[in-house]
Amino acid sequence: MKVQVRNLDKVSILDCSGDVDLYTSPRLRESLLAEIRAGGPSVLVNMSGVPYIDSSGIATLVEGLQLSRQTHTPFGLFGLRPNARSVLELARLHKVFAIFENETEAVEKIESTSSGI
Amino acid sequence: MRIAIASEPRLLSILRGVVRFRAREAGFSDSEAECLAMAIDEAAANIIRHTYGGRTDAPLALEVRCFRDRLEFILEDRGPKVCEDLIRPRPLEDIRPGGLGTFFIGSYVDERTYDRDFKDGNRLKLVKYLSGKGSPCNEGSSSQSG
Repeated sequence: MKVQVRNLDKVSILDCSGDVDLYTSPRLRESLLAEIRAGGPSVLVNMSGVPYIDSSGIATLVEGLQLSRQTHTPFGLFGLRPNARSVLELARLHKVFAIFENETEAVEKIESTSSGI
Repeated sequence: MRIAIASEPRLLSILRGVVRFRAREAGFSDSEAECLAMAIDEAAANIIRHTYGGRTDAPLALEVRCFRDRLEFILEDRGPKVCEDLIRPRPLEDIRPGGLGTFFIGSYVDERTYDRDFKDGNRLKLVKYLSGKGSPCNEGSSSQSG
């Protein structure tokens, strides 16, 4: 699993690719929490390259969400594949996260989405 | 089919691959196979994290038994006995990191039992039934490898 960070004008995007599981989720956690702590205006996670995410990956995203609330950093996800989306729905987290279909929509709406905070 | 690995998190992807393959072969849909892969992955991850306390050199085995109406997944470890009463998923409304693995396992399999007679660690059996579809697998077939 790889995580690459793109710092755009008003948003940092973490492009994830590969499975997020017990082995790889610490990598995502490190990058995600660092980006939120860095105080960027908004943080988005691009999940379009993630075919599989387990409970440790979900826990990482929840941790990111909690930190983003503490730091008042809008935080959201986009590009979820069906498997990842169904996992979030099963855990009833799909309404807790700000979830967008694609990057264009996410960048446009993240700052005005109160659920992202 | 039996696979023995070390309790290394990076090897969990191998278990997922095996489960997906066997589930599809048994007649489960792609999405059902994915759910089963996650259930077994979560159970194995729990062994690594909780039973072995993060050790990466301990033995972990997965056996897949294919029946006409179901698949059985047997996970064995050599760790201290698990106290079943302590295994509880967290309430979903309690939003915090962690505690969802057990919930996903319970959501994706039909039966989950520990073999109390297993002496040398823990033996967890997870069962998933086919819903009205025939299986190409032979009744009770179980081959050993690895």
